[in-house]
Amino acid sequence: MTSHFSRRGFLATASASAAALALPRFALAADGFVNVYTGSDSNISDFWTNVILPGFKSVNPDAKVRVVDAGDGAGLRAMADRAMAALGSDADPQVDLFEAFTPDQTEGSIDAGLWVNFAETGIDALDKVNPAARQTDFDLPYRGSQVLLAYDASRVAAEDAPKTWDEMTAWIHANPGQFIYNRPDKGGSGGNFVRRAIHEANGRDPQKFTLENFSADYAAETLPGAWELLNGLAPSLYEGGSYSSGNTQSIQLLAQGVVTMTPVWSDQVLQAIAMGVLPEDTGLVQLQDLALCGGFSRITVPTNAANRDVALQLAAYVLSEEVQSKIITELGGFPGVSWDHVDGALREKYADVIPATIPTFPGGDWDAAINDGWYRNVAPGLTRG
Amino acid sequence: MTDLSSSGTGRAGGTAHSNGRGLTGLLLVSAPVALLGWLIIYPIFNAIARTLFAPTQTGTAFSLDTYGRFFSDGYALANLWLTLWVTAVCAALLLAICLPLALYLRFAKSRVAGVVQGLALFPMFVPSVILAYALIRTIGPNGGVDLVLNALGLPKINSPYLTPWGPIIGLVWDNIPLTTLMLVAGLGAVSDNAVEAARDAGARPIALLRHIILPQIGNAMLVVLSFTVLSIFSAFTLPYVLGPASPEMMGPFMQRTFSQVMDPRMAVTQAVITFAICAVFGAFYVRSIAKNREARR
Repeated sequence: MTSHFSRRGFLATASASAAALALPRFALAADGFVNVYTGSDSNISDFWTNVILPGFKSVNPDAKVRVVDAGDGAGLRAMADRAMAALGSDADPQVDLFEAFTPDQTEGSIDAGLWVNFAETGIDALDKVNPAARQTDFDLPYRGSQVLLAYDASRVAAEDAPKTWDEMTAWIHANPGQFIYNRPDKGGSGGNFVRRAIHEANGRDPQKFTLENFSADYAAETLPGAWELLNGLAPSLYEGGSYSSGNTQSIQLLAQGVVTMTPVWSDQVLQAIAMGVLPEDTGLVQLQDLALCGGFSRITVPTNAANRDVALQLAAYVLSEEVQSKIITELGGFPGVSWDHVDGALREKYADVIPATIPTFPGGDWDAAINDGWYRNVAPGLTRG
Repeated sequence: MTDLSSSGTGRAGGTAHSNGRGLTGLLLVSAPVALLGWLIIYPIFNAIARTLFAPTQTGTAFSLDTYGRFFSDGYALANLWLTLWVTAVCAALLLAICLPLALYLRFAKSRVAGVVQGLALFPMFVPSVILAYALIRTIGPNGGVDLVLNALGLPKINSPYLTPWGPIIGLVWDNIPLTTLMLVAGLGAVSDNAVEAARDAGARPIALLRHIILPQIGNAMLVVLSFTVLSIFSAFTLPYVLGPASPEMMGPFMQRTFSQVMDPRMAVTQAVITFAICAVFGAFYVRSIAKNREARR
């Protein structure tokens, strides 16, 4: 009976997956739709579908826009590869706008002219962008988020919350088992905590790390100091050196009162508080000697997009005051534009949490070096072998 | 072994070919066999080839460097050992839990048995992601179990969350239905008559189990063992969410090597090593099925 069942199940699955493979081909043929590809979580694609696209109707009532979920970064890279392959031919790459992508993820794409240069398009967009968030002329940072420390305010008084790396280290050692961060590859909150340790070990100078200056030798020179710092923390972490497997799990442990403090994404923690997962009085604090890193999601538009003009219109609309203000109120994120370009009332309300600068850490080859280095040097722990 | 060869010679005479139905049969199996070849056999050989032939400046050359790296890398070996250890512990626990359960379901005639069967099959319908988060809420730190213990004035449990025992508990729970079903099916071969005859002769339950039941379900146990080993060895979600950061089980380790370390050739090497180990247990399974068929002819 079981073997029949599983065979039938296999056939059903096989035909379903075959249909799923065939589906995008039918649906995404050149049909006048502007294809927006996202690799972000469902809260972001919901934000596009329910907030940005209805609002875009007022700018361009005739435009038909479709938000496609590429799954993750690897999915977006595959789409960018397709656009790259189509470059210089008549083929339609069937993608008009990437919701969160950086040009460096596709090798040689900038030199090949795959991406629209926003400095030359004449649309009023790049000038509004927060200078601290700008990376290249080929991407438009439109929403940001930063990692903070969240703590249980019933156990830590606001004035005792750590404000520097050293205070935080002292706090962790004074409260063993009460701090956890997640594995750096499983979510940005732990990932940027690890990157903050790298900054700490290298003179707190984010300028020392750029996309271009990665080399195995330079990594071998700069990273071991951070592993030492993190290994020093490990015995005082939760369970003497356990690491949660994602942003959500860290928040869950904080919510269950298992740990007292954990690094969190600003947008995620604000949503968790709004949804009642974390109590109203959850404390949030940022290190003042050098903030934990943040990141911006960047819009890119391929030059060979079939609907490039509409895509550029859409990009400009996303950077408008209307959408940027909603990124604060509805997403709990930071705007990609300078704060002069958001609603004045919001500007005042969030005056205290507006970061003057958001340190960032380059991706590219650094990601692999940092993540694998952490797994090999920090995760096994000194005592746990 | 002797069984196999003796019944093998007995079979040589009349095959399906001789009465002309061979072609239809071959046509019927050609589609699944082609699918198997395309989606499973071809990728396996492709993967093995990719690990053995490395691209160099002058073209591709035979190289065992990734295997050398894997087996000389203490970190990777620790991951492999953990996977083997978790698999062995899970298989042992599953047999220890499911054999009594299957015996009960096979021989009990009461209505309670129906309820027990329903409960035993329930994990089959719970996706492992849901299970992982549910386990965090129950046996995780300050979870449901701790709340109950606390209310009774007892100390908290030493939570298995983020230790190798987290995925073990999850994997055992997840695999109970299939294991139980296969054991019950195997126990179906044990006739009531044999059991009653032994009882009449004064056999105690332990002797009954040892001399009447176990010899008849040896095959089923082998199948169960190979199935659980295969599914646990390749487990991903539960070790990913519930397990420790290090050592990792092979599933999460492969995924991380592929997408984070961006070293596909190493990831494929890990996969080849993994399925080489699984193939040993697969061979057990195939052999026992073949033996079964031969016995039935």
